[in-house]
Amino acid sequence: MSQFRKEKNRFIFLMLMPATILLVGLTLFPFIVSFILSFTDYSLLRPGQTKFIFLNNYIELMTTDEFWIALRVTLVFTILAVFIQVVLGVTFATLLHNENTNVSLLRTLYLLPLAITPIAATFTFRLMFNPSLGVLNYFMKLLGLEPQAWLASPNTALFSLILVDTWQWTPFILLICLGGLASLPNEPFEAAKVDGASSWQIFTKITVPMLYPFIGLALLFRSIDAFKTFDIIYVLTSGGPGILTRTLNLYAFKHGIEYLSMGYAGSIAIVMLIITIVVAQIFLRKNKLLQPKDTLK
Amino acid sequence: MKKRTLNHLPPIKQLNLTRRHFVKATSALAGAGLLSSYGLPLYAASNVDEMMKMYQSANIDWQSQKGSSIVLSGLEHPWMSSIEPLLPHFNKLTGINVQVQKQSESEYVAEVPVKLGAGNPTPDVYMVWSYGQAANAGWLESLDQHFDNPNLFDKNWYDLNDIFDSAKSFPIWNDGESYVMSITAEAQTMFANQNMLDAAGVGVPTTFDELLSSGKKLKSGDVSGVAMRSKADGTAGSWPGGGFVFSNGGVIIQDGKCMLDSPEAIEAIHYYGTILKEAGPLGVGNYHWYECLNDYMQEVCAIGMDSSNFATDIENPEKSNAAGHTTYGAMVSGPGKTAKPNMWHWMSGINSKSQNKAAAFLFLTWANSKPTCLMSSALGLATTRTSAWESEGFKSAFGAQAATAALTNLQNADGKIMKDCWFHPQSGEILTPFGIAINEVVTGTKSAEKAMTQATAKINKAIGA
Repeated sequence: MSQFRKEKNRFIFLMLMPATILLVGLTLFPFIVSFILSFTDYSLLRPGQTKFIFLNNYIELMTTDEFWIALRVTLVFTILAVFIQVVLGVTFATLLHNENTNVSLLRTLYLLPLAITPIAATFTFRLMFNPSLGVLNYFMKLLGLEPQAWLASPNTALFSLILVDTWQWTPFILLICLGGLASLPNEPFEAAKVDGASSWQIFTKITVPMLYPFIGLALLFRSIDAFKTFDIIYVLTSGGPGILTRTLNLYAFKHGIEYLSMGYAGSIAIVMLIITIVVAQIFLRKNKLLQPKDTLK
Repeated sequence: MKKRTLNHLPPIKQLNLTRRHFVKATSALAGAGLLSSYGLPLYAASNVDEMMKMYQSANIDWQSQKGSSIVLSGLEHPWMSSIEPLLPHFNKLTGINVQVQKQSESEYVAEVPVKLGAGNPTPDVYMVWSYGQAANAGWLESLDQHFDNPNLFDKNWYDLNDIFDSAKSFPIWNDGESYVMSITAEAQTMFANQNMLDAAGVGVPTTFDELLSSGKKLKSGDVSGVAMRSKADGTAGSWPGGGFVFSNGGVIIQDGKCMLDSPEAIEAIHYYGTILKEAGPLGVGNYHWYECLNDYMQEVCAIGMDSSNFATDIENPEKSNAAGHTTYGAMVSGPGKTAKPNMWHWMSGINSKSQNKAAAFLFLTWANSKPTCLMSSALGLATTRTSAWESEGFKSAFGAQAATAALTNLQNADGKIMKDCWFHPQSGEILTPFGIAINEVVTGTKSAEKAMTQATAKINKAIGA
C-alpha cells in the first residue's frame, strides 16, 4: 500500500474516531447493557440478588395480554399518525412550492410547530383539550355541537393524541418534501404541461413518483420516531382511559421506572428495537432508498 | 430541576415568610408557651436571634457538623415550600449548608429511585414517596442509632408526646427500626361549596348514596356536582378510591394478598364510578388532584374529596373563588359502614449511602422540631405536631373548620390497612393496576366487577400472592 494511501486511511480513521467513541459510549454501550439485562431479573428493589433467567422475560412478555394491547396501540398510533402526516405534508409542500412572497411567509408559519419545545406545546394542548376550560370545547359549543371529553373518552383519546402528533410533525414531512421538490428538474413538468396534462395528472403521475425517495425517507424517519413516542402520551393521557392509549414505550417506562424491574423493561426495549430494525430494513430494501442512484431501474 | 443553595440569611421580609406570617407564627409560639419569656420583637435581626435561642436551649451540639454540606431532595410540595425559606436559619444554627433539589412529583418519583438504586451518595436527605420500596431496597439509613446519640438528639426538647400517634407509628418498619420521620399529616376530607349547597337545598353528604344524590342535584350546566381523581395512573384514583374501599368495609391488601375483588371493594368502586359518571365533570377520567382542586377553586365543581392539605389553597382568596364559603366535612361511608378515610404522612429520610449522615440527621431533627413546625404551620403546612395544629397561626392559614375536619378524619383513619398497601415493597405494582381499574370504571370501559377482578389477578401475580 502506498504511503499516500496509508496516510489517507489513518486520516479517515482519526477523523471518524470521535464520532465512533461517542456512538459506542452513548448508543452501543447502553444497548449492550440493556440486552444483557433483558436476560436477568434485575430489579433496583433487590440489589445484589440478580439472577440470569435466560429467555423468561421474553416468554413472559409474549404471553402477557398487556404487551399485545400495547403493541396494537403503538402500531395503530404510528400508522394513522404517519399516514395523515405524509398526506398533509406532501399536499402542503406541493401547494407551497411556489416562488411567491406570500407563500414564503406561509412556509415559515407552517414550520413553526417544529421550532416549539415539544413539552411546552403538549402542555398547551392539555389546556386546549380541557373539557370545561379548553378552547376546543368552546368552539364545539359555538358550532352547536356537544362538548367532548377529548382525552378521557375511549372514542376520542387516541384520535386526540394523533392530532397533537400531526400538528407537531407534519412540518417535518413538509420540510423534506419542499427540499425534494426544489431539487426536481423542471423539464418533465414543462413537457407534461405542453402535452396538456391536468394539474392532478401532473401531481399523481410526475410529482409524487419523482418525489418518492424523499417521501420514503420522511416516512421512515417519522415511523421510527412515532413508534417510540412518549412525551405526548405521558403528559396527555398517561396511557388512559384504562390502557387504551398505552404504547410499548409507556409500557417499558412503567416497568422500568415505576416498578424498577430493569430486566423486564430491558426486554421490552429490545423487542421494540428488533421490530424497528426489521421493519426499517424491509422498507429500505424493498424501496432501494439507500442504494446509489445508478442502480435504480 | 430547580437547584440552588441557600446559605445566606435574608431578612424576614425577603423570605416567603412575610412579616404578617411571622407575626402569626410567633404569636402561635407564644401561645404554645415557647416564646413567652422572649416576647419577640417584629424586626428580622432580633427575631432571628430569639429563634436561635429556642433551638440552642436543646441539649444538642448543633455546631458539631459545621462546614459540611448536604443535599435535600424533594418534590413540589407544601413541605418543601415552607421549609425552604427557613433554611438560612438552619445554616446559621448549625453551619451546615443545604443544597435544595426540587422537582415535580412525576419527575421526582421517576428519577430519585434510579439514583438511589445506583448507589449515589446524594441526595443526603429526601422525601420518601414509597417507604416500603425504599426500606426494602436498603436506600434508607436507620435513624435509631442517631436518636441514641446525645450530641445529635435531645428527647426531652424534641417532645415526642407532641407528635400524632400515627406519625410516630408510621416510621417503624417491619424490623422494628425507624428509617424516616413523618413530616406532614393529611387525611381524605370532603370540601363542599356552601353557597352551592344552599342554592340546591342539599346538606353536606355523609354516605355514598347521599353524595351521589347531592352530586346529581348540584350538577348543572358547566358546574359539576363532584370531582375526584380518576386518571389512569397509580398516583391518581388509588388514594381517594382506597378511602372509598376502606369506608365500605373493604381492604386493598390483607396478609400479603390483594383483596380488591371482594364484594365490599367492588361495591365501593362501583359507587366511585357511578358518582363520577353521573355527577362528575366531563372528562373526569383524565383528572388528577390538580384538576380536581382547580375546578373546585374556580367554582365549576361543588364537592371534592381529597387531601386535607387542599384547604390552604382553597382558603386563599388570591387563588380561590371558594375561599370563605367552603364547608369541610368527614369522609362519606358505604351503606351501614363506618367511614375510614385514607390518610398519608409524607416522610423524610437519610440516604444510606450519604457521606453526611450526622448533618442530615441534624437537619431532620431541626425540620421536625416544635419551633420549626410552628413556623411552617403558620404558612399553612399541616405538620405532625399537635402544638402546631392548635396554634392560631395554623388555624388562620389553614382555616379553623378545615383543621377540625382534617383532625377528625385523621383520627377516623385506619393507618394499618393503608400501610399494608402503600408501604408494600411493590406498591407501584399494586397501585398502578388499581388506578387503571378505577379509570376503567369511571370512563365506562369496564364494569366495577370486571375491572376489579382483573386488577386483583394482575396484582396478585405481580406480588406473588
